Amino acid sequence: MNIEARNRLSATFRFIVLAIFVVAFFLPLVSMVVTSLKRMDELYHLPAKVFPEKPVWENYVLAWTLVNFGKYLVNSLILTILYAVPAIMSSCFAGYAFSRFQVRESRAFFLLVLSTLMIPVMVTIMPLYMVMSRVGFVNQRGLWFIWGLSGIPFIIFLFRQFFSTIPNSFEESARMDGAGRFQIFFRIMFPLVQTGVIVAGIFAFQWSWSEFLMPVLFLSDEKSTLAIKIAMSYADQKENVLYNIGMAGIVYYTLPLVFIFFALQKRFVAGLLAGGLKG
Amino acid sequence: MAAITRLGASPLERHKRVSFYIFLAPWLLGFLLLQVVPIAWGFVISLTNRSAFPVEIKFVGLKNYITLFKDTEVLSSYWVSFVYTVANTLIGVVTGFIFALLLDRELPGRGFFRTILYFPYMIPLVAVGWIFRIFLERDTGFLNILLVRLGLLSTGVPWMQQSPMGSILLLSFWQAGWSMIIFLGALSTVPRELYEVATIDGAGYGRRMRHIMLPLISPFIFFQLVMSFIYAMQAFIQPYIMNPRVIRGNWVMLNPPPNDIFFVMSRAYYIISGQHKFAYGMAMLWVLFAFVLVLTILFVKFGGFWVYTEADEKR
Repeated sequence: MNIEARNRLSATFRFIVLAIFVVAFFLPLVSMVVTSLKRMDELYHLPAKVFPEKPVWENYVLAWTLVNFGKYLVNSLILTILYAVPAIMSSCFAGYAFSRFQVRESRAFFLLVLSTLMIPVMVTIMPLYMVMSRVGFVNQRGLWFIWGLSGIPFIIFLFRQFFSTIPNSFEESARMDGAGRFQIFFRIMFPLVQTGVIVAGIFAFQWSWSEFLMPVLFLSDEKSTLAIKIAMSYADQKENVLYNIGMAGIVYYTLPLVFIFFALQKRFVAGLLAGGLKG
Repeated sequence: MAAITRLGASPLERHKRVSFYIFLAPWLLGFLLLQVVPIAWGFVISLTNRSAFPVEIKFVGLKNYITLFKDTEVLSSYWVSFVYTVANTLIGVVTGFIFALLLDRELPGRGFFRTILYFPYMIPLVAVGWIFRIFLERDTGFLNILLVRLGLLSTGVPWMQQSPMGSILLLSFWQAGWSMIIFLGALSTVPRELYEVATIDGAGYGRRMRHIMLPLISPFIFFQLVMSFIYAMQAFIQPYIMNPRVIRGNWVMLNPPPNDIFFVMSRAYYIISGQHKFAYGMAMLWVLFAFVLVLTILFVKFGGFWVYTEADEKR
């Protein structure tokens, strides 16, 4: 009885603390939405009001039309797919190689994968930019594909863990039947790591969607992405930053991430907890 | 291929090795093209006088590096980045750990809390920067309105101007969800029976935590500290968007932030793409690279003495 009462007390206490944090974490988001519905002069009018006098839905129209939002949205999507597909496949392949074909040098290569975590992004991207602009290979989306090939170390690790949990007998019986290595991989192994693919996909999407440096260096405005437009925000003719419209733009910009996250979060969290962390 | 056949003793071993390289090939290709080649090229550039202007390119040896160590502004950037990194790492790890502790046991609405606390981590930094720029605004920012209404402040505080570093660190707190997930995973690996046995033996919460939980999850804490250090040293866009000076027009990257939040990466970007001093900027990045590398290796080698491993047990 004593223990039960104490557990209930502890749960109540933790619930209250977490609820306070959740409210605090919501405040910046509320501020974002509320600001996106204000008039620009309301933002500077004192005494400050929390809510707009009358919500200005027009801001959402302007956020879309002032910068040709649709075009950059499509650009972002194209680059995300160009990056995510090779990133998932390359990481999955590498994870498979590390889990199933352990040869003497595997460990050294695995350390190499982990060591790439220590390389600051700019140390590779800035020289790449200089090389590329020198050979005239600029404004090419193909770069995102190559970027994808270099994989995501954490995801390679994750896939290795996932593949390690699959019994060897699965492949052996297929090999007896005369299946080649790619057949074995795509028919048997790949379908068994769907959770890993979802986690990898979310990561790849998030990275490419928020990447700032690559598009700002390598792409012209014509091929530029939403991340760049959001970083630049919106300004009027007199170079005043239009915060309200900027916030509306951010709402659009984050919606796909919100959607994907909430649609897949159960499997995402489960995948992270199950695969990646027990090693 | 010759090396492969030579080393492969048995046919099975050879088949294994061929498969290994086939499946590793895409990663190897990306690694060579996007990391090895540019890194080496960047180092070569740092030894020259290359800039965006077509001057005669000369090999200048370590001159850029020597200039760099005399450049007080650049040196201050390393210091600022380092201070930010330490603070960011502590905030992230401690907050994430507390959240994980609160969420580890049964609780109504556990999934909801976990989702909401993780969520800010999903929002891209370029957006987060603007969201907080408005949130922290002196007169009309939500935070000030709230604190004034609650009677905690008499007038609004210009947070970004008064404490630019603190404002940027607030993002570390808001985006601690990643640490939380790592620690939740870590806590789920601790066998419940150990707690129960300890409770029966009369150990209170504090002792259970110190003698059971902390040792068992110490490898995760260690991992998280290392990763957080590496990432935070690369912070780049935050000082531009959360620049305490007034931002005009719509290209935030044009206005350099003040020195007390001008991180290494932010300054390197400014030197390379704003001032077109390619070689000097590369030297700066290489020093950062070396710094991160050396510190990480030292940390992994000597910083892990408190990390519990199975090997200790066997000894």
